[in-house]
Amino acid sequence: MSDPPLQGAIITSQLIASLATRTTLETPGVLRIEPSVQGFLARLGPAALRHVRTSGSQDGTYRHDGVTATISDGTARVHLDIATDIMYTALDVAEAVQQRVRESISHTGLAPGAVDITILAIEHRRGTTIT
Amino acid sequence: MALDNIPRLGCGRSIDSIWASIDRSPTAHEEQCKQCQTARIQLERLSAATRALRESDLHDPALRPRPGIKNAIMDVARAEVRRGSRILLRAADNGATEISEQALSSLVRFAAAAIPGVHSRRCRIEIRPASAGLASEDHQSGTTGTATPAGPRLIVNLRVAAAPGIDIPVMAEALRQEISNAIPAGVGIAAGTVNITVEDLYDV
Repeated sequence: MSDPPLQGAIITSQLIASLATRTTLETPGVLRIEPSVQGFLARLGPAALRHVRTSGSQDGTYRHDGVTATISDGTARVHLDIATDIMYTALDVAEAVQQRVRESISHTGLAPGAVDITILAIEHRRGTTIT
Repeated sequence: MALDNIPRLGCGRSIDSIWASIDRSPTAHEEQCKQCQTARIQLERLSAATRALRESDLHDPALRPRPGIKNAIMDVARAEVRRGSRILLRAADNGATEISEQALSSLVRFAAAAIPGVHSRRCRIEIRPASAGLASEDHQSGTTGTATPAGPRLIVNLRVAAAPGIDIPVMAEALRQEISNAIPAGVGIAAGTVNITVEDLYDV
């Protein structure tokens, strides 16, 4: 006799944020996800983060280093702050990120909601020469 | 009457005021007042101990930040500045896309750097939201219009310094053309109006 199927999987906003981060960084033309003060303090240690932790982290929203993920009524929404490579068209990169992140979210069983993107920087990739 | 909880000596002077001037020579009052002199001797010991601790912290390897931490702090600081003013590029069911004014400014500066004899200075970007009828709108005087994707209409205001002896109208037109090509290529929207102000000449 096989085990009864699980009634539901626990998909947290932290998992969605992690998924979105990975998917975004794998998209051609994305240089990085822009760091935030909170993400930086999190790397320093939990004690530093305690001073800036807001009540927003307990309402289904997870924020970390330029990624905000919210799960509400079975729908996951994501906001990303990114830097793009000057050799790519930033709007095309943003559109590719939106499509890829929404696809990744759909694999979790949640409905993909809006994937909002802010392009904070357009730069040359480090190591490339400016002509 | 306000409560005064500051510790005071018998002469009426506060400990805080003596501490504030502990690194300086005694005042005329302090040279005469026994209580102030006693307080200064004790506070000088505390001051020396404080300086020694500060000095020790500066050279304590355990208190030295890990490599790369300064860069990480600067990355965060730069990102926070970029988070300031943003321009909506596109809003769709999939989600909205914005760009920071800083990102656009840096793109304009990259473009300007390609023109010899020009140093970019202040760059301000204004925005007119995308609206119907833009395609038929006449280009304003001083603008460089190109057939580019629909979107918000930018007004780029770039101030530059030019090299002495340069042909300013020719340089300005080349700069305007470079910026008008760089924005659609780098961002995917029309450059709109590009206003260039030559505000200074720089020494070569």
